[in-house]
Amino acid sequence: MTVISCEQLSKKYDDFLALDDINLEIEKGDFFGLLGPNGAGKTTLLKILTGQLKPTTGMANVSGIDIQKEILEVKKKISIVPEQESPPSFLTPREVLEMVCSIREIKNPEIEKWIGFFELEEMEGKVCRNLSRGQRQKVMLGAAFIAKTNIMFLDEPFINLDPIVQTKVRDWLIDYVKCGGTVFLNTHLLENAQRLCNKAAIIHNGKIQSIISLKDLKRQDINLEQLFHEIIT
Amino acid sequence: MNKLIIYRMLQEEIRLNTSFASGKGFYSFPLLVVFSGFLAVIFSDEIISDIGYLDFLKIMHISLIFYGLFAGALAFFGSEFLERIFGYLGLIIGLPTTQPISQRKITFLYFIKELIFYSIFTLLPALIGGLVGSYVNGLEMENVLKFSFTLFTSFSLGLALSYLLSSLYRKSLKSAIIGTALTILIYISLFNRIALTPALEWYLNNNINYLILSLTLPIAVSLLATILITNFYETGTIKTIGYKNRFKEYTEKFRWAKKLSAPPIISKERIDLSRSKTGTKMFFSFLFPLAFLTFLNWFIDKGLPIQVDFNTIFYGVMIGFFGTMLYSWLNTIDSPNFYSTLPVTVSEIIRARLVLFLTITWWIPLIFMILISYMSSELNLLPIGIIVMITVGVYIVNYTALSTGLRTNSALFDAVIFIKFFFISVPPMIAMTILSLAIKYSPSTMLIALSIICGFLTMLSIVFYNKIESKWKNEPFD
Repeated sequence: MTVISCEQLSKKYDDFLALDDINLEIEKGDFFGLLGPNGAGKTTLLKILTGQLKPTTGMANVSGIDIQKEILEVKKKISIVPEQESPPSFLTPREVLEMVCSIREIKNPEIEKWIGFFELEEMEGKVCRNLSRGQRQKVMLGAAFIAKTNIMFLDEPFINLDPIVQTKVRDWLIDYVKCGGTVFLNTHLLENAQRLCNKAAIIHNGKIQSIISLKDLKRQDINLEQLFHEIIT
Repeated sequence: MNKLIIYRMLQEEIRLNTSFASGKGFYSFPLLVVFSGFLAVIFSDEIISDIGYLDFLKIMHISLIFYGLFAGALAFFGSEFLERIFGYLGLIIGLPTTQPISQRKITFLYFIKELIFYSIFTLLPALIGGLVGSYVNGLEMENVLKFSFTLFTSFSLGLALSYLLSSLYRKSLKSAIIGTALTILIYISLFNRIALTPALEWYLNNNINYLILSLTLPIAVSLLATILITNFYETGTIKTIGYKNRFKEYTEKFRWAKKLSAPPIISKERIDLSRSKTGTKMFFSFLFPLAFLTFLNWFIDKGLPIQVDFNTIFYGVMIGFFGTMLYSWLNTIDSPNFYSTLPVTVSEIIRARLVLFLTITWWIPLIFMILISYMSSELNLLPIGIIVMITVGVYIVNYTALSTGLRTNSALFDAVIFIKFFFISVPPMIAMTILSLAIKYSPSTMLIALSIICGFLTMLSIVFYNKIESKWKNEPFD
C-alpha cells in the first residue's frame, strides 16, 4: 500500500528551481532514504510532504490524503523531525513532551519512557534554550517518537547525537519499521542509509537521479557510496 | 577591510529586509517617505502659523531624535528578536565568535552601517520629497538643505544614544537605567540655554561653534558606547536551572478558552511570556512612545493660541493603539518553527496570542492609564478612558493579527501592509481624539458619539477576528 506519493512535484523560489518534476511512491513499511549533496532539494521535498511548504506545481499525498487540501489531517498521522533542532525555547523537555501529547490527544502518553530513553532526566528544570544542540535534538526526537504515528519524516536526525544515542535511535527505528511503521529519512550520511534503508532515491539539482533498492544493490555487490559518487560527480 | 565589512553589512540588511517583506514592498517604502517629506513641506506654512516657527523646528528635531532612538533600538536590541523569529540567524555582527575581529570594532562598524542605511532609505527620500515640496511652495532650497542637515545630526544623536544605551544594557539593566538618567541630566545641564540641540542653535544663530558641537556630539557618544563594549558578554538574562513544571497547571487554567484556541498552545505561550521576562520589556516599551507623545503634547499645548486639553480619554485612545506593540512582543518571544511539526494551524497560534493579550498583558496599559489619569487629576474620566482603551486596543490588535499573522515586525516593513494598516488605524484614532478633546464642551453628545464609534470598532473587531481563521489556517509556519 502506497503511503507517500508525489506526482510532477516542482518548487520554484523566484528563478531558482529547487525541485523539478519529482515523482515518488513509498510503500507502507518502507525505510526510505532520500540522499543527496547539500542544497540538492532534500529538505524542500520533506517540507512539502509534511505541509510546511507549498509546492509550485504538482501534487503530494500522505496516507491517502492530499497534503495541500488537508494539512492538519496529514499532520495528525505523521511525526516530523526537522533539520533544525528547534524545540520551544522556554519549556523544559518534560513540558515539551506533555505539550505534544496534549495537542495530539495521546491517550496513555509514555512520557517517562521517552524521558528515560533519551536520558532527559538530567535536563529536568532546564529550559530547552539552555540545552546543547545534541540535547535539543534528543527532545525533538522524543517529541516525534512519543506521537505513536505510523509515518515518520526525519531530516538529518543523527546530526549532533553522540554515538551511543545514534545506535539507540537506529535500533528503535528498525523495530518501528518492523512493526509496520514507514520512515522517510533525509540524509547525506550514506553509512546510515546503507545500514537502515531498504529503498533510497538520490536527488541532485532538484531532480531525482535514481531510485534504488538496497537489496538489489547488495546483490550486485555495489556500494551505496560508489553509486552516489558516480551519479553526483 | 572596514569599508568592505560595512558594504557587506548593508547588503545583508537589504537582503534581510527583502526576506521579511516582498522586494516590491521594501523598495516602495522610500517612495512613501518621499511623499511624506513632500507633504510635510507643503503643509509647513499651515503648521507654522498654528504652532509657531520655533516650536515647529523643535518638534522636527525631537521627532528625529526619537526616530534615531527607535532605529537604534531596532538595530541594537533587534538581533535577539530576529533569532527568535527565524531560529538561528547568522549575521555579520556575529563574526567575532569565529574570526579574529573584536566585538568592539564590529559593533562600531554596525553603528556606521545603521547610520548609512537609515540615511539612504529614509532621510534621503524625505529630503528629496522636501526639496520638491519647497520648489512647489517657493521656499528657499538652500534653507531646506541646511535645516535637513541639522535634522540629520539630531537623528545621528538619537542613534548614538541608543547605541550607548545598548552598550550599558549589555553590562547590566542597572547600568542602563543609571546611564540613561545621567545622560538626560548631563544633556539638560549642558544645553538648557540653547534651542534644544546644538545643530538647531547653529541653524538659528549661525554660530559655527554649535555646528562643530552638533557634529562632535554623536561621534563622542558613539565612541563612548564603543569603549564600553567588552569582548565577552553574556546576553542571556534568564536563569538556567530550577524551572518548575507549569504546563499542566496552565493548560487547566486556560481550559475555559478552548473555543478560542487549544489550551495546550495557550499554556505554552503563557509559559514563554513569563520565563522570557517579556512582560517587563513590554512595560518599558510603553514608556518610549508615551514620552514622545507627552513631549509633542507639551509643545502643541505651548504653541497653540487656544488651550488644548489632552485628557485621559485621549490617552485611552493612544494607549489602546499601542496594543499593537504588545501583540508584536508576543510574536517575538520564541520561534514558531516547532509548531510546524504538530497538527496545529497558524490561526490557532494567533488566537492563542490574542487570548494572552486580553487576559495577561492587559495590566500594562491599565497601569499607564491609572497613572496618567491620577497625575492629571482626572480619575472621573478613568472608566471612560479604560473602555476606550480596551475598545481601541482590541480593534487594532485584531487587525494587526489578521494582517501580519505571527510576524508583525517584519510584515509592517511591507509598504502595502503598512498603508492598509495606516488607513485602518488612523481614521478612528483621529475621530476619537477629536471627540475626547471636545468632551468638556458637550459631554453627553460626545459620549454618545464615542459610544457609537466604540460599538462600530467592536463590530469590526469581531469581523477581523473571524477572518483570521480563513486567512491563516493553511499558511505555513516558515
